[in-house]
Amino acid sequence: MPKKVVSIVVFPGSNCDRDLDIAVQKYMNVNTELVWHDDPNIENQEMIFIPGGFSFGDYLRSGALATKSPAMKEVIRLSKKGVPIIGICNGFQILTECKLLDGALIDNYKRLFICKENFVKIENKNTPFTQNIKKNVVQFPIAHAQGRFYTSEDNLKRLEDNNQIVFKYSSRDGKINKSENPNGSMNNIAGIINKNKNILGLMPHPERAVNFSEYNDGVSFFRGLQNLL
Amino acid sequence: MNLRKLLKMIYRVYINFKKGILDPEAEAIKRTIDSMGYKTIKNISKGKFFDIEISSSKNTLGDLEKISSDLLSNPIIENFKIIKK
Repeated sequence: MPKKVVSIVVFPGSNCDRDLDIAVQKYMNVNTELVWHDDPNIENQEMIFIPGGFSFGDYLRSGALATKSPAMKEVIRLSKKGVPIIGICNGFQILTECKLLDGALIDNYKRLFICKENFVKIENKNTPFTQNIKKNVVQFPIAHAQGRFYTSEDNLKRLEDNNQIVFKYSSRDGKINKSENPNGSMNNIAGIINKNKNILGLMPHPERAVNFSEYNDGVSFFRGLQNLL
Repeated sequence: MNLRKLLKMIYRVYINFKKGILDPEAEAIKRTIDSMGYKTIKNISKGKFFDIEISSSKNTLGDLEKISSDLLSNPIIENFKIIKK
């Protein structure tokens, strides 16, 4: 049986698309198609990834200009049909700017670009994206300057009530507190899903945690996605 | 003044953060001003503006409002205001 094909949308300024490509092919056992942002057709609709980077140079706001790309218009259309969509880092920023996910990702609390390994607690394992990850706390690196998750108090409550918060920055043993919050995100939020559970956005980079003997939690993340195909 | 210049329409769109959203850049600027010795500065908020030249249409303001809410600002975190220059 030929391998299934998943799509990775690439923008001018994306820089995690190749890492993601390697991780997806290797651990999801699929082929990939890189879709250039001005292509209005996404042929392979099994799953769509929006990678990290600095789409359009982060001009205006991170992810803002990418929302108007022809490929993103198609992603928005397909998202309504239930196609699984995963945005990582800048991809998460693009998905919030598209209003496919709640909230906004704004300047880190201390205005620094933060690049470090971080522990992330899986808050909700009852999602198609996380149900196969065995660990409760994973170690994924973060690398961003605009990762402070913000939304209105009402929306925050809605996200919590609907169990849409999937990842939170935590300590090694899963404690959620201010000292483990790298960027000032509300409630330590690192990743959320939409209400229909087919769109995931996260700031940490699982694709950067796959090639090391003791630092490979990304492997279980990508392997776990196979059941969605 | 030539007619072309007379008919030139420029609008300015101001964008700023909604109240209650911490802007670390404005905070840092405020701290620096404090360190310069000024004792009277209570608060600073930072924003940006766009000057947009537009040819007249039936729905000039409507178009500008749509552009402002749809792209120039993010309504979750920002307000915008349109002023004719």
